[in-house]
Amino acid sequence: MQVYLPLSVLMIRACHALQDKFQIEIMKTFFKTIGNLFKKPATIPFPAAPTYKPDDYRGLIVFDESLCIWCRRCETVCPPGAIVFSQNITDGKQTYHYSPYVCIYCQECVRTCPKQGCLIQSAEPGHPATKEHDVNNVWNKLFADSLESRVTYAAEKKKQQAAAKANPQS
Amino acid sequence: MSTQYNIPVGAQHISLLEPLHFKFTTENEKIIKTEANVGYVHRGIEQACCSKFKFRQVSFVVGRVCGLCSISHTTCYSQVAEKLLKLDIPKRAKYLRMLVIELDRIHSHLLCLSHVAENSGFEALFMKTMRHREFSMELLEAVCGNRIQYDFSIIGGVARDLRTDVAQSILDKFKIFRPQLDELVDIYKTNWSLSLKNKGIGVLSKEDAIRLNVVGPFARASGLGVDVRNETEELLPWKEVGFEIITDTAGDVHARNMVRLKEIYVSMKIIENIINGLPEGDLISDTKAFPEGEAVNRIEAPRGELFYYAKGNKTQVLERLKIKAPTFSNIPAMVETFTNNEYASVPAIIGSYDPCLSCTSR
Amino acid sequence: MNRIETSFENLKKDIAAFYKPQAHHFITMNGVDLGNDVIEYQWFFCDYAFPSDITMFVTRANVDVQVPSIKNIIVSAWLPEAELVDLLGVNIEDTQKGFVLELDSETAPLRKK
Repeated sequence: MQVYLPLSVLMIRACHALQDKFQIEIMKTFFKTIGNLFKKPATIPFPAAPTYKPDDYRGLIVFDESLCIWCRRCETVCPPGAIVFSQNITDGKQTYHYSPYVCIYCQECVRTCPKQGCLIQSAEPGHPATKEHDVNNVWNKLFADSLESRVTYAAEKKKQQAAAKANPQS
Repeated sequence: MSTQYNIPVGAQHISLLEPLHFKFTTENEKIIKTEANVGYVHRGIEQACCSKFKFRQVSFVVGRVCGLCSISHTTCYSQVAEKLLKLDIPKRAKYLRMLVIELDRIHSHLLCLSHVAENSGFEALFMKTMRHREFSMELLEAVCGNRIQYDFSIIGGVARDLRTDVAQSILDKFKIFRPQLDELVDIYKTNWSLSLKNKGIGVLSKEDAIRLNVVGPFARASGLGVDVRNETEELLPWKEVGFEIITDTAGDVHARNMVRLKEIYVSMKIIENIINGLPEGDLISDTKAFPEGEAVNRIEAPRGELFYYAKGNKTQVLERLKIKAPTFSNIPAMVETFTNNEYASVPAIIGSYDPCLSCTSR
Repeated sequence: MNRIETSFENLKKDIAAFYKPQAHHFITMNGVDLGNDVIEYQWFFCDYAFPSDITMFVTRANVDVQVPSIKNIIVSAWLPEAELVDLLGVNIEDTQKGFVLELDSETAPLRKK
């Protein structure tokens, strides 16, 4: 009994010391938490404040018709098929179509374009499509129609050439 | 013998980032057998690359295999296509490729670490890690012009140059990030409640790692020093920019965390060396040739060895493209590592594998 | 890349003689449709010590011939084998369909039609 008594006292003291140490830790955490209440949040209050955007962001493709030489190379290289040229059947004039919703902003068309400045990648981000846009159906139909219009024009031209060959007088 | 229970986890589960299905057979709390199903996100990308797309467009398609290691896929494909075309690329392009791969590794490793913390029940650490990760996403956006799908490597070189002000901002942000990373290392290393869920859990021994052909940080945490960066010098000069291999011996979740954290320091060192010694020169070398013959290429993605096999037939469209993603190699080991762990440890173990199912089933 | 031609009879023997777990890393197994129902099978290995050397075991066979499995030699080979069974529609020893693709989905998408 006489041996155990001082031992138990020692243990109680050790416990108290530990408790004090924990209390200090707890108080530290408590003040840290209070301090955190007055810190600025780590997040950005989007959409009230803008998010980070570099000034050479890869955004929408801008087309300058006056410079185009109608080589259709951009259409050939475009991985998702977001560029297509349709052709007027009567006078053969080509029109450029571009879907900002299908585009993946990879810049491949800009790199391939032989005419400097005809296709430019702007820093404007693409806008999300909504249900009203009906992106896939509208674009797929336009794409198929454009290809068909070129085939029709080529066939028409061939026919005309053949006719011109048959009677060169007219 | 006690009663056995079958517990399914997935394909939709709160601790999984991607669809993955595990079927556990447990005795009381202990897992005795696991079956895995990984084919939920099969999108037929290999088939699309060999039929619908031309070989120059494929480098943008394979970038969409995985959102986290997009740059590894595009670089690996570009290299294998360059082998088929017998094309040599400029040194500046090689350095810029390495720069983006390492930036990508930083953000991928931090995502995995935060996921482990969340799955271990430590939400505050998850948010802290994700907050410190944000700088790497911004840097990638500044370097590549896009936040997720970088499209930075193209056949013959890289698509964009590194501007000097962007290079300076990388160095400046690293100065801010380094003390934050030190703090993270301290928490992951010494936090007592995290250690209960991480230390000694999900142990993969070195013998098993060798037997099951494990790759990536999963293997390096078990003491198997496989790292493609350590091995090949022919395409990307890793040793020149100060790469060193990180290994651990314990093989548990904690060791995997430590390997990933230390690799972030190595990546930062590599990026600083690249920026300080960036060679001048062209960004791209071009050719009019068509792919011919067959070639293989390996690269170290954030999750381990990425392997591409390509076969060309002198036309615009490849004949075969095989993608072997790092998680694909690790699944046999994942299934075995669960054995003899408690069922409650499963989320933390899955997080520490860093599985990428989009890569695996393509 | 070292290319080693083999045949189905010698495949297990060749790979067992070549593969040392301590020295070699099994990368993956692959199949290429060469047309006319002929499939080229490839097994890729790399050396831990000399990793630039990738060794490829190659053999060709008709699609109906059963491929011997190397699961007994390399445990982790079950996954690429299961994938090939689904994607190429080939017959591999001890391997069931339905791991990557569902049984009611399209069969053998990587085969040439």
